[in-house]
Formats: sequence, structure tokens, C-alpha cells
Amino acid sequence: MARAPAPDAAADAVPPPRANPDLIGQAAAEAEVLRAWTGGRMSHAWLLTGPKGIGKATLAYRMARFVLSQPAPDEAGGTLFGAPPPPTDLAVPPSDPVFHRVQAGSHGDLRVIEPGFSDAKQAQRDLEAGRAPRRRGEIVVDDVRGLGQFLSLTPAEGGWRVVVIDAADQMNRNAANAVLKVLEEPPRRAILLLVAHNPARLPATIPSRCRRLPLRPLAPADITTLLGRLRPDLTESDRATLAGLARGSIGRALTLARTGGLEVYGELIDLLGQTPRMDVARCHALGDRVARDDDTWALFRDLLPGWLADMARLGATGRPPGDETPSGAAMARLSRAAPLDRWVAVWEKTIHLLGRTEAVHLDRKQAVLATLLLIERAAGRA
Amino acid sequence: MQLTIERSALLKSLGHIQSVVERRNTIPILSNVKLDARDGALGLNATDMDLEIAESVGSDIAKAGASTAPAHTLYDIVRKLPDGAQVELSLDGEGNHLVLRSGRSRFNLACLPVDEFPAMSAGSYTHSFSVSAADLRGMIDRTRFAISTEETRYYLNGIHLHATTSDGVPVLRAVATDGHRLARVEVPLPDGAAGMPGIIVPRKTVAELRKLIDETGMDVSVSLSDSKIRFAFDDCVMVSKLIDGTFPDYERVIPTDNDKVLEIDAATLGKAVDRVSAISAEKSRAVKMAVEKGQVTLSANSPDAGSAVEEIEASYDASPIEIGFNSRYLLDILGQVEGDAVRLVMADASAPTVIRDVADGSAIYVLMPMRV
Repeated sequence: MARAPAPDAAADAVPPPRANPDLIGQAAAEAEVLRAWTGGRMSHAWLLTGPKGIGKATLAYRMARFVLSQPAPDEAGGTLFGAPPPPTDLAVPPSDPVFHRVQAGSHGDLRVIEPGFSDAKQAQRDLEAGRAPRRRGEIVVDDVRGLGQFLSLTPAEGGWRVVVIDAADQMNRNAANAVLKVLEEPPRRAILLLVAHNPARLPATIPSRCRRLPLRPLAPADITTLLGRLRPDLTESDRATLAGLARGSIGRALTLARTGGLEVYGELIDLLGQTPRMDVARCHALGDRVARDDDTWALFRDLLPGWLADMARLGATGRPPGDETPSGAAMARLSRAAPLDRWVAVWEKTIHLLGRTEAVHLDRKQAVLATLLLIERAAGRA
Repeated sequence: MQLTIERSALLKSLGHIQSVVERRNTIPILSNVKLDARDGALGLNATDMDLEIAESVGSDIAKAGASTAPAHTLYDIVRKLPDGAQVELSLDGEGNHLVLRSGRSRFNLACLPVDEFPAMSAGSYTHSFSVSAADLRGMIDRTRFAISTEETRYYLNGIHLHATTSDGVPVLRAVATDGHRLARVEVPLPDGAAGMPGIIVPRKTVAELRKLIDETGMDVSVSLSDSKIRFAFDDCVMVSKLIDGTFPDYERVIPTDNDKVLEIDAATLGKAVDRVSAISAEKSRAVKMAVEKGQVTLSANSPDAGSAVEEIEASYDASPIEIGFNSRYLLDILGQVEGDAVRLVMADASAPTVIRDVADGSAIYVLMPMRV
């Protein structure tokens, strides 16, 4: 299996949402925004929801660029040949000055609220050196403070003012309350775009003041297309595997590809395929790898329970394993090897064990071996 | 881009514009100054996205072009060059670096693309007029102390400028208030300002404007619309956003039927208030004025520090009154009085008091008393 190239090279190939001119698979959401705009019923606050990595922030910046490049209402007045035709999509070409300024973060009428830097001094050094500084895990009230002042001033370029909050569910309670004040009394010609992976974490007062715009997970075909464009270095079969693992999220597929997920997944499937007699040396080797590297640990925590859940689902629905991949074969064999309730118990125990290991810093290698043993035992007992 | 410019001219312009560039910036392009060489002049431009200062300096342009370079670094370099030096600016082959040459020094500065630089679109200004630097300075100095810093009432965080009439004479009026005190200053309405929209100029813009006025003795031409204001000095232009809000109906809080008129020497009162307030409690800084015929008794009490009393001669004919003020607010207002005497027009101990400079009718201050 091809090893993923150095993470930096891969990250460069994928533009961040503010610089990404393309959005695939979210035509329904775009159409809804466009209808609201052309119908003169643009909501002052939109809550963009859906799983991580499907294009919510990309759509938010796309909406921002669109709104910011619309002429100011008074300038749009009568023209010689009547009103210009209404816009038919949200795209703003990358050659447009608005695109450049949004990308650089220097558009006077756009304010982006993100988690602040975890260390201001270090961040300044990082920025000067051209590195991306570390950010905190949540948006605190200090990150939100400039918002009131920004919205209390007139627009710099005469049109609309746009605020992007990425991600809104990272706001702590104080920050959310500060934003709530703005949501309650929005100034005219201002739009707030709230990106939320997990809207249930928001205080109920926030979604109730926003228009919800749910984004759907991408179709596997879209993921394959995007992977072909963004990671042309991957093989056809790698792309297919990633599309299967992505659960509709291109962000997830790219993370898996970047952090060596394919390799870990392949190794895991090989081992699971050997049940009930796994190669002990390979189990230890996997355990060592996982223990050494945070990314691999995160992959293992994600991939193994996911695979078990898929297998349990297969057992429950009785859907025949459609694909002849090693993963499909192993899944089919294991789901026949033990009754469903036992697999559900294994899945629960795995999640619990891996979660505790992360929470209280237990030995990761032991956790890996314990979960593999658990599966082996469940499969062998039949 | 390639040009030669005199060091002192460049330094003066950079000095003006670098003050808007914030030291710590998370957005790289905002640390930069935009350099635009064309038509025999170098245009320099810096912004913090709320206000923009642009300046143009005559220079010898060999090749037109534009770029952006770090403002503070550039200023530092030019400041340290010897007086009278000639500075040569050019871009390297790819346009990624600005090369600065002067004498035997050579600097390479990293550039960022011009199209990332924020645009403060001028739009169309609906009104333009010119006002003397002295008038503008007076309007700012005598009102800015009263600007509120409270974020919730954002529409008070600036100076309200509007055209109106005072006793039938058209005037341009500046008003600022923080809810405890109010300052209103007017000058005769300049040509072209009639019918201008009432606008609120933000605090930061006021501060930057004040610095620029000090360096010019000429008239300042002001252009404005309901979303932007532009001040043009000799070679320097400042464009700023405005506060997007409605200034409250301040006329309502200026009392017209106060009848207790006290006239007193401003400097004497100021010094006495300053002395007496030394004793008053740390936070409120309250000073009590007991006013009776021909005399004012200032007093302050603090349960911890003790008490203070001072008597001053004054001209007063109405019935005696006791009234308390925040000493700092009172001193702020007395500090604006340029004439000898100040006139306090009171109603009672809980109603707003009107304060004016006896020698100058253009300014009026309103101060809310404290309960003491």
C-alpha cells in the first residue's frame, strides 16, 4: 500500500475553506441561499449544520464572498438597460478582488471568529515565520469581543457586513451569550454565518434565532471525484477505500489519507481477517506503532470501533456483504462466527476501553492488544 | 516599481501613516503599508480596516508599480538613515521583495501582493466642505473628553457631527456624551455642509484626526456620506468608517429653564475642586458645593480620610442651593474653559446643570449632579 506523502505537501494541495473556490455536492443548500437572496428574504443569521469535513465552512466563505461582491443597494439603482439579471449561483471567481481579500483575511466587511491562539507570543512568532499557530480548543469571550464594535461601524466598502463563526459549537457559554446579543438585535445589512458540526451543543437560544441550513454528507461518487482532484497521487483502489471510510466527509477522507489511515486500516483488516488466530507479532507491532504516534492512535480509536459497528450492522440487517474486498470478507466471516449480541458487547467494550485509555492516559499498546484479544476471543468462542 | 525619494519626505509620510498600523496583527497584510508609484508621486497607504490614511509624496519615478511592505520595519529603517539621504526603492525580479538602497546600505523586505490590501472604497460623498484647522481642533478638543467608552451604547462612542441652526444661524455642531455629561460645540456652518446627514465619528478616528491637525495650519476639507467620512489635509487623506447608529435626541437633556445662575472664576474653582477632591472617596470623587449669596463653599467628606472645606468668592443672587458633582467630570469641563469666568446655571440638586464659558458662547456643557 502506498505510503502517504509528507503531510505538509498534502496539506498544501488542499486549500483552506477561505481560499477554496469549489464546492461539490451541496447544490441544494446553495440553491436555498440563492432563493433567499433573490427573493429578498435573506436571513440575518444562518446556521450551517452537518458532519465535519463536508463543506460547511467552504459554503460559508462562498456565501460571504457572494454577499460581499454584491453592489451596495443604493449603487444598484436604475441602469440604462434595466436591472442586471439576478445571480444564478454563488460563485465568485478567484480572480475577483473580493476573493483575494477574503482569502487574505483583509476584507474590511468580513469578520471571522475562530478559536484564539493558545499562546499569543508564540503565535506572533509563528505568524512571522509563516507557520500556522496553535489554536485553543474553544472560542472564548475574548475572541468574540471585537464583534460588537465591528457591527457598530458602517461598512468599509459600502455594501453588506458578514461574520463567519467557525465553528459555533466551539463557543463556550460566555462567548455564545455575547454572540446572542448580536443575533437578537442584528444591525441592518449584516449577515452572520454560524458553522456547527454539532448544533446540539449550542445553547437553544442560538439555533432559535438562526435560519437552519442543513448540509448533507457527500455521495461516495463526489468523494471519489474530489479525491481524484485533490490527491491525484493515490491509486484508484486507495481512493475507493477512502471513499468507503469517509462516511460522506471529504475532510475525513483527506485526514485519513494524510495521517496514514490507509496503511493502519489495511493492517487492521489483515489482522481481523486472521481471526481467530491473529499473528501475535503483528499485533504487537501495531500496538507499538499506535503507542508511538498520536495520529495513529487517533486513527485506531476511530477505525476499529467504526469497523465493528459496521459489522454489527451487517449482522443485524442480514445484508449480504456486497463487496469482495478483504474488509467485506472478514466482516462477513466474523459476523457469522458469533451471535450479534456478543459483537455489540465487544463494540461497547472497545469504545469504553479506548475512551478510558485516552481520558486517563493508560498504556495505548495494552489497550490495542486488549481490544484485539477481545475480538479474537469473541470470534473463537463460537 | 522603481523610484528615488528624499529620506525626510518619506520619513514624514511614514510617520503619519504608521500610527494606524497596529503592532500586533494576526492578519499579515494589515502590518503592511501599500506603496503605489505613479505619475511622479509615491502613494503610501495604511489601514486597520476601520480607518485608512493615505499620503502622497513627490518622488522621482523611474518605473511605475505597486507593492506592500511591513510598515513598522520600513519606518524604522528610514528613521535610522542619515538626514538628507536619498532612498531608492525597487522590486526584485519576482516582486516578492522590496529592495531599499541608500548610500551604502541595502535592505530586502518581504512583500505581500497588493490585491490582498484592504480596500476602503471611497464610494460617493454626498457633502463636501472645508473647515479651518483651528475650528476643527476646537470642536474636537472641547467634546472628546465626554465620549463614552461603554460598548453597549455604541452610538455614544464618538462625536456626533451635524448641521443645524442655533438662534436662527446655521451652524455645524459637534456633540459628545456618556450619559453623565454632555459637550456641545458649534461653529458657523461651512459652505456645502447644509443638509448633511447627522453622523457619528468613532473615537479612534477622532484621536488620529487630532494628531494630523496639529501638523497642518491650513483648512481641512471634509467630505462625507452616511457611511464614510474623509478628511483631506495638504498631501494626506484620512478615510474612516462611521458609527452605524442614531445619536440620541440630546437637545431634550439640555435644560432651558434653570434659574440659579452662578458666575465664578474658572481657574480658582478648578484649583479648589482639585484640592478638595483629594479627600473624597476613591471611586465617586464627589465634591459638594454649597452656593449662597456671593460665596461658594466646596466640601468633601470621606469616612476614612477625613474632610475638607474651601470657600471661594462668587457672584450669585438666587436662593441658596447645595449640589454635588463628580469632581473629575467638573474638572474636565473647567479644563475646556478658555475665558476667565465660568457660568453654572442650576435648577436643583438633582437636575442637570448647564455650564458655559462666559466669554465664549459656542460651547455648552451639561453635567448631571451627584447625590451627596
